[in-house]
Amino acid sequence: MLVTLDPRDARPLYLQIMDEVRRALVLGTLRAEDPLPSVRELASELVVNPRTVSQAYRELEREGVVYVRRGQGTFVAPEFDRDRQERDALARAVAKRALIEARRNGLGVDELVTMIREVAADEEAEPSRSAYAANEGEKQ
Amino acid sequence: MSHSTHPASGDEGFAVTTHALSKRYGGEPALDRVELRVPEGAVYVLIGPNGAGKSTTFKILMNLERPDSGSAEVFGLDTGRQGPKARAQVGYVPERQDSGYRAMTCGRLLQHVAAYYSTWDHAYAEQLTRALDLRLQRRVGGLSKGEARRLQLVMALAHRPPLLLLDEPTDGLDPLVRKRVLALLTEHLADTPTTVLISTHHVYEMETLADHVGVLRDGRLVAQLDRDELKRTVRRYRIEVPEGWESPPEFRVAADASRSPNRRELQWTLVGDERSVAEKLALTGARVREVTSLGLEDAALAFLDGEVTG
Amino acid sequence: MTQPVLQPVLQPVLHSTPRPRDVLREQVRALGIAIKLPAVVAVALAALATILVASRLFDAGKPIDFAPELSMLPGIVGLLLPIGVWRGEDRFGAGLLWTLPVDRRHHALTRVCAGWVWLMAAVALFVLWLFAITLISGGNVTAESTILVLPSSVVPEPGTLDAASLESVRWTPRPLLWLVPFTSATGAYLLASAFALGTRHPIRWLVGAVLTFFAFLGFAEAAHSRVLLQGGNRVLVALMDGPYGIDALLTARTESLHTEATLSTGEKVGVWRGLPDLGQWVKATLLWTSVGLAALWAAASRHRERRRG
Repeated sequence: MLVTLDPRDARPLYLQIMDEVRRALVLGTLRAEDPLPSVRELASELVVNPRTVSQAYRELEREGVVYVRRGQGTFVAPEFDRDRQERDALARAVAKRALIEARRNGLGVDELVTMIREVAADEEAEPSRSAYAANEGEKQ
Repeated sequence: MSHSTHPASGDEGFAVTTHALSKRYGGEPALDRVELRVPEGAVYVLIGPNGAGKSTTFKILMNLERPDSGSAEVFGLDTGRQGPKARAQVGYVPERQDSGYRAMTCGRLLQHVAAYYSTWDHAYAEQLTRALDLRLQRRVGGLSKGEARRLQLVMALAHRPPLLLLDEPTDGLDPLVRKRVLALLTEHLADTPTTVLISTHHVYEMETLADHVGVLRDGRLVAQLDRDELKRTVRRYRIEVPEGWESPPEFRVAADASRSPNRRELQWTLVGDERSVAEKLALTGARVREVTSLGLEDAALAFLDGEVTG
Repeated sequence: MTQPVLQPVLQPVLHSTPRPRDVLREQVRALGIAIKLPAVVAVALAALATILVASRLFDAGKPIDFAPELSMLPGIVGLLLPIGVWRGEDRFGAGLLWTLPVDRRHHALTRVCAGWVWLMAAVALFVLWLFAITLISGGNVTAESTILVLPSSVVPEPGTLDAASLESVRWTPRPLLWLVPFTSATGAYLLASAFALGTRHPIRWLVGAVLTFFAFLGFAEAAHSRVLLQGGNRVLVALMDGPYGIDALLTARTESLHTEATLSTGEKVGVWRGLPDLGQWVKATLLWTSVGLAALWAAASRHRERRRG
């Protein structure tokens, strides 16, 4: 599970971690009954106070997304109806970021929505020029 | 005006408390009525320009220096009157340290220090030594600055103290080792209930690890708050200003205030609740175009440069 | 979503401070490592000395007598040991010694004590070595000897001394005097430790003292002041060779009392200006040891924990 934290993000760290877990669930890199990295491992990887990771895990447990197996660690919960909730929460976070970016460039909400549909339509027409490939290209 | 969060009630739950701590060197105030509050279990980073203030705080907590006035406590133990007991709770990495044990090997020095701490974990010390690439047969007198620092880290962590006082712990270490030290520190926090008070020039390293921040300026603690509140109250504002607009007197211009060529756009780092700041700006005729939050370092440094009241 | 409360960390069980005897034991061990090098040098010198003595034995055939005069050496070692004990330690800064969880005054005194343990061990070895040499060479272990005593404590001019005026005394040093090497080393060590521990720049003080002494001499001579010169001389003599002077501490005055005089016949002979007095030695030792302990306490107190009212 790849977790990255954005230093510019104003949200509390534990919320960011929770969202990253949700993202993994929605993407499928984390499935039901999969183990989450231990608090120690994740904290060390992110260089974050382990208490923050614990807090994130506890909140996820409270929401029923994960559960704790005594002596073995934290695991993704078996039921999968939450998928819908997770998708919604994730989509919301993505939309928020898109809006911020749009505003910074002086674009309005309707403009953005229209353009998103246009680009998606282009993608279907020419798969090689898909947003995903463009993203990869940007990275290189 | 101080931006701080500490409970109005007593000092329970704090690993470190100072009461009106003051210290002058010559004419300069290194510490001026500092009220430090480090909650238990917190990772508290002390930020400030180069000066005696930060190191002096550590030295007073270790009773190596005597304050001119005020007092300090570690877990409720007065650092002056109960010095030895207070120090037994602490793992200290000082700025520099000279010991008379030049002829000793590192391994022997670790054994020496181990004799003073009943909670010394030999297996853990070994683990730390390996993780930090310390060669135990080297003589203490012949260590480089980086090696000495790594040795001090082992000495501080191995007895699993409830409080770590780290004065520039990564100073003199190359970037790769610094990363390893931070990872070790994080793992240490996972295994041991510990509070950390750390001062460092490389604030960006503590970007994610720190959950509390204290900013010392001219000896005064101008800010002391947890990271969430810091992130909430310090923002960079991009505002559009009308022609001939002058910054009103109550907004002190922060160092990175920049104007775009056509003098219509301004970028400011301001401290305060976002809504009230935006309102204030609007009242002066400026229009807020964008607000971004900052990384920990930039946010904390804003307190060193300028403040918004209210 | 409501903000969840961070779980509070449980009040930690306070860690304890170490036991005094563990601290002493560790200081002794640590010092052992610190003085390893000078110890090796000392052993090498002793081996050299043994060889020289042995060769003298074969040459002259004269046995070596056990002589308390040699207790000057332990005194000197005691004087120099604090240099090794305190070298490199940042005594007036953030030295490791002060950051450990031990009361700092006690810690300083513990280290001095640790040094003293090694000192006594070294002196004991030294005394044993002397014994061995004496026994092997067939010398007189009890150091009983016939000594010649001057009629008065003033040494007469060369050539004026009459052999008949010398008193021949059969003198046996009291067994208690075999403690002299130990007490002289201890006294010297205490004084030097106080100096090393208590002054920030001991070298400056030493140089300053020497310079002051010569300045005083120069001034007194330039002023042609007999009073100053004689007075100064008297003080110095009392301090060094007097009944309670330094030499009383170091050698029970056997060093200063023993001198050489030229007889009227032109023969040079070893004489004594007086007999060593046991009572004087005990008093002198107690005096200097007390001074040393008081100075040491004051020096250690410079590093005490800073309490506030």
